[in-house]
Amino acid sequence: MRALTRRQFGAGAGAALAAVAAPRLARAAAKPPVAVIGGGVGGATAARYLAREGLDVTLIEAKERYVTCFFSDLYLAGLRSLDSLTHGYDRLAQNGGIKIVHATATGIDPVSKIVSLNNGTKLSYERLVVSPGIAFKFGAIEGYDEAATAVMPHAWMAGPQTELLRKQLEAMEDGGTFVIAIPPDPFRCPPGPYERASLAAHYFKQNKPHSKIIVLDAKDAFKAQELFEEAWARRYPGMIEWLPMQFTGGVKAVDVKGGVVVAANARFPAAVANIIPAQMAGQPAEAAGLTDKSGWCPVDPVTFASKLQPDIHVIGDAAIGGDMPKSAFSANTQAKTCAFAIAAALNGTPPAAAHLFNSCYTFLGPDDAFTNAINFAPVDGKLKMTDFFISKVNATTQERRRMAAEAGGWYQAFMRDVFG
Amino acid sequence: MHTAFGRRGLVQISLAAVLAIGAAIAVSGALEGGAAEFDQGARLASICAACHDSDGKSDGIPPLTGLDENEITEALARYRASESPSIVMHAIALSLTAEEVRSVARYLADKGKEARP
Repeated sequence: MRALTRRQFGAGAGAALAAVAAPRLARAAAKPPVAVIGGGVGGATAARYLAREGLDVTLIEAKERYVTCFFSDLYLAGLRSLDSLTHGYDRLAQNGGIKIVHATATGIDPVSKIVSLNNGTKLSYERLVVSPGIAFKFGAIEGYDEAATAVMPHAWMAGPQTELLRKQLEAMEDGGTFVIAIPPDPFRCPPGPYERASLAAHYFKQNKPHSKIIVLDAKDAFKAQELFEEAWARRYPGMIEWLPMQFTGGVKAVDVKGGVVVAANARFPAAVANIIPAQMAGQPAEAAGLTDKSGWCPVDPVTFASKLQPDIHVIGDAAIGGDMPKSAFSANTQAKTCAFAIAAALNGTPPAAAHLFNSCYTFLGPDDAFTNAINFAPVDGKLKMTDFFISKVNATTQERRRMAAEAGGWYQAFMRDVFG
Repeated sequence: MHTAFGRRGLVQISLAAVLAIGAAIAVSGALEGGAAEFDQGARLASICAACHDSDGKSDGIPPLTGLDENEITEALARYRASESPSIVMHAIALSLTAEEVRSVARYLADKGKEARP
């Protein structure tokens, strides 16, 4: 049982009662304005929980609809519609009392605390939450630029890119080679590329059984490797070839016209090529001075306050605070922790203990999934993993089915938690 | 409640864990007022909401409606004691202090009464 710290309870009964009474009056008098940039999982969750804490919340997101990256490998395999992964902001506006502004933030002034938008308006804030997701480091692979994504999709931000990759896989002839290039750490959704290989193999096995998948990794080992390799041997024998960095020397270039992925030691002709580029924090993180030289945003592990700019918090994939993986679940728990910390600061409510947790369901086939469960806690200014659990490699068929069913239920509940 | 939380097991261990939680509640109970506990319970329940659908309709993951405070507390004690039947709930239960278990159990039980079972 974890001991309660002195700080959590140091206030004692009298002070706690006073602190409870005061913020309710403050809430009624004037709601402090909080702006949230980014309507993905981190931003939408933050907006929802900030509003619940009685704050005046504006969510800034250019797109009218959000397509989840998680579960998009199921769409690629023909197991789920893209529509089922697409979510709007109506419920956040109607039930959550959140102002939704479909615009792009073009500037942030951290001194006067104003966000400028591309529609000409300016928003002032007491606190700003930035949840910008990822951007790609084009140029890390020679020849792979924005134009090249129209031929060799990354499909790592869900939407048109995911549809393009699905069309290419559908059009591919039986016996073709599908090449997936995996970037160096850190990147969004660490198990995602291996799940993609698994589910593409499922699709091929059903529809074009002579096809092959070559996975070109920028690493020599990956997380949950035993679980994936066991499933690949059991479900898709001979279909998936995973090539570590030490074999290929890493992907250096693409020949877009010739359809070839070029590694240091070998060339890989591809009927379909999925290039997942190296990543960094999405805009406006860099423009607002929120990134360090790594390209990511350093944050306080308790409040997710930027270590570089005052009164701005960064959550989700863009933030680096230690061991937490870049996942939607991480973004969701970070958003809540951050919202409670902001409410404590602006409303004078008692600070809540941070509960940072990650769980990811990963599909190996339509009725075959595994999960992990990880707790994190702030240690010496960084988020450290404190508990780690993962499904067993020798799980029964029944257990794998149960995980796949749980995953579907989780998606439904999670989307309600995020988008209302 | 076995339908919602899976098979019963490790009766002796979970009983000990419940008693330990009870002892901790007795110590910390005097420190906080009711409203603060409700806020804490509501915030802690946000952890549950990431997987358990708030209207109790979710497939695959059991709803949290229709459970009383003791059932939730006992279930968390069992999850804390063993990683089967759910590693996710094992990790969650490990992350909660005794006082947090009390807050979230009370909040969920109250909220569950409002929703349909």
